[in-house]
Amino acid sequence: MNNRARRWGAATVAFLVIAAVAARSFSVAAQEGGGGRPNIPPMGPSGWTPPRTSDGQVDMQGYWNQRNNITTYSLQDGEGDRAEHVRITGGNAATGKPIVDPPNGRIPYQPWAAKLAQFLFDEHQGTERPENLDPVARGFMEGIPRINYQGGLQILQMPGQVVFLYEYGHHWRVVPVDGRAHLDENILLWMGDSRGHWEGNTLVIDTTNHNDQTWFDQVGSFHSTALRVTERWTMVGPHRIDWEVVIDDPNVFTQPWTMRLNYGRNTDPTYEQMESAVWEGNRAVELIVRPKQK
Amino acid sequence: MQTGRNVRRALSVVPWNAPCSAATAYDMRRHSSIWASVSAAAILVLSPAFTTGQAPSAPATGVPRSADGKPDLSGIWQALNTAAWNLEAHHASKGVPAGLSVVVGAPIPYQPWAAAKRKENFENRLTADPEAKCLLPGVPRITYMPYPFQIVQTPKQLAFLYEYVHAIRNVSMDSEHPPGQIDWWMGDSRGHWEGDTLVVDVIHFNDVTWFDRAGNFHSEALHVVERYTRTGADHLMYEATIDDPKVFTRSWTIRMPLYRRLEPGMQLLEYECYAFDDEFHVFPP
Repeated sequence: MNNRARRWGAATVAFLVIAAVAARSFSVAAQEGGGGRPNIPPMGPSGWTPPRTSDGQVDMQGYWNQRNNITTYSLQDGEGDRAEHVRITGGNAATGKPIVDPPNGRIPYQPWAAKLAQFLFDEHQGTERPENLDPVARGFMEGIPRINYQGGLQILQMPGQVVFLYEYGHHWRVVPVDGRAHLDENILLWMGDSRGHWEGNTLVIDTTNHNDQTWFDQVGSFHSTALRVTERWTMVGPHRIDWEVVIDDPNVFTQPWTMRLNYGRNTDPTYEQMESAVWEGNRAVELIVRPKQK
Repeated sequence: MQTGRNVRRALSVVPWNAPCSAATAYDMRRHSSIWASVSAAAILVLSPAFTTGQAPSAPATGVPRSADGKPDLSGIWQALNTAAWNLEAHHASKGVPAGLSVVVGAPIPYQPWAAAKRKENFENRLTADPEAKCLLPGVPRITYMPYPFQIVQTPKQLAFLYEYVHAIRNVSMDSEHPPGQIDWWMGDSRGHWEGDTLVVDVIHFNDVTWFDRAGNFHSEALHVVERYTRTGADHLMYEATIDDPKVFTRSWTIRMPLYRRLEPGMQLLEYECYAFDDEFHVFPP
């Protein structure tokens, strides 16, 4: 196999590992008229107020997924990052642009970090070292915020907490909204430590205690343990939540950067999440990692 | 028994309360399931206030209840026994604390071939145990592994969140199993209330998972019926009846208390089993 074909094959496998499971969520979007294009439900009518749970929280319960047609292949705007994705998908690549600040849609790496990000980007097309592969392709947890745009999610609420259940790879996230303090800083977690509070119709979640092993997408966007993620989930209509996330890591970025997405409700009353066992059948490392050909 | 399974597959729908064993011990449950289905049907047409009084057994007093009147099982729980090593009675060995059996009416009633297989599993347990490969551990095993789990309770759905590899079990209430056979690591869980007991019917397993580190095992025909009963402020009684006509001569039951984790600020953390391999922690220069 020549070098180009090998790289294409490796990238395809990496992509399919993710895409296979996300496909169910895409098909749900298609059922609701999305068809792979942005399909953002309307905001509620003027004066609309969201329903409340028995303990007074905004009731966001239900099944949701992002409707902006973004891909976790690469978050960054620009032809360079998307070229491989366009090639893999035969020109049908997702075109959504989640990064709204900086305005150029790019992750504002510090110079040293930009070099490492470029190294990892080059490695994703074929590497000798498993640690240079997307952590999710290796079967690890997505981390925050990435899991929010990996596929479908369900929100359940109980007094004092908001619970996120993510279909991909059995991720769950419990967000206390009872004012408790963050964990001891010695505890590092794949999914971080989330604390929420309500500001009107907005659930604000502050997530800290991240390890430095998760990425924001498949092509090497990384962070350090100093990562702080601030999300704002605002219910703006019966079938729509607007999401904004500010990503701050003074060790890696020159400034905090912001993504915005719109979530639509899955209104299929029969929908349930199914088991998504990732590690159990994962052959990505075995198939992708091999000695480079000279 | 086997006929019953075939009928279920032919219908492509498995009711949550389908009796699955002709074993005598199981017939008791069958009757209570019938009562539960009558009661569940009543809930569809009658007011909640009325049906609460129609539960098959009298509601216990003093049990904290959720808004819909059902016992509140929410919180963070953990087993405190040695079932993770061996469901049956065992003396201590290096790294393994001694323990009493959690099997009601031990020993586990293996068919002869299966008893031999279990012995082989035990001898090869350090490498053959699916837990050693970080595979999802199945049900009921995940309940009594040495990690806490959290029950999130809503009227139509209970979510069981496990610290071990972030496993999730979604328990849909008063709903039907999807048609199968489906090979799921954690099976398909459907719940209903029998009085103050949450009963969870679980099928659609694969044949890979074990019950413990001692090689106790099952086939894909495994059918588990779990019963969670809140017996006090900080205790649940957990019972799981295990039926697998390919492996056992009759259904059998394990029983153990589950304890609430009372530490201030208690929350689930993480045990990402498959992420501990050293080769994955070399960051590029």
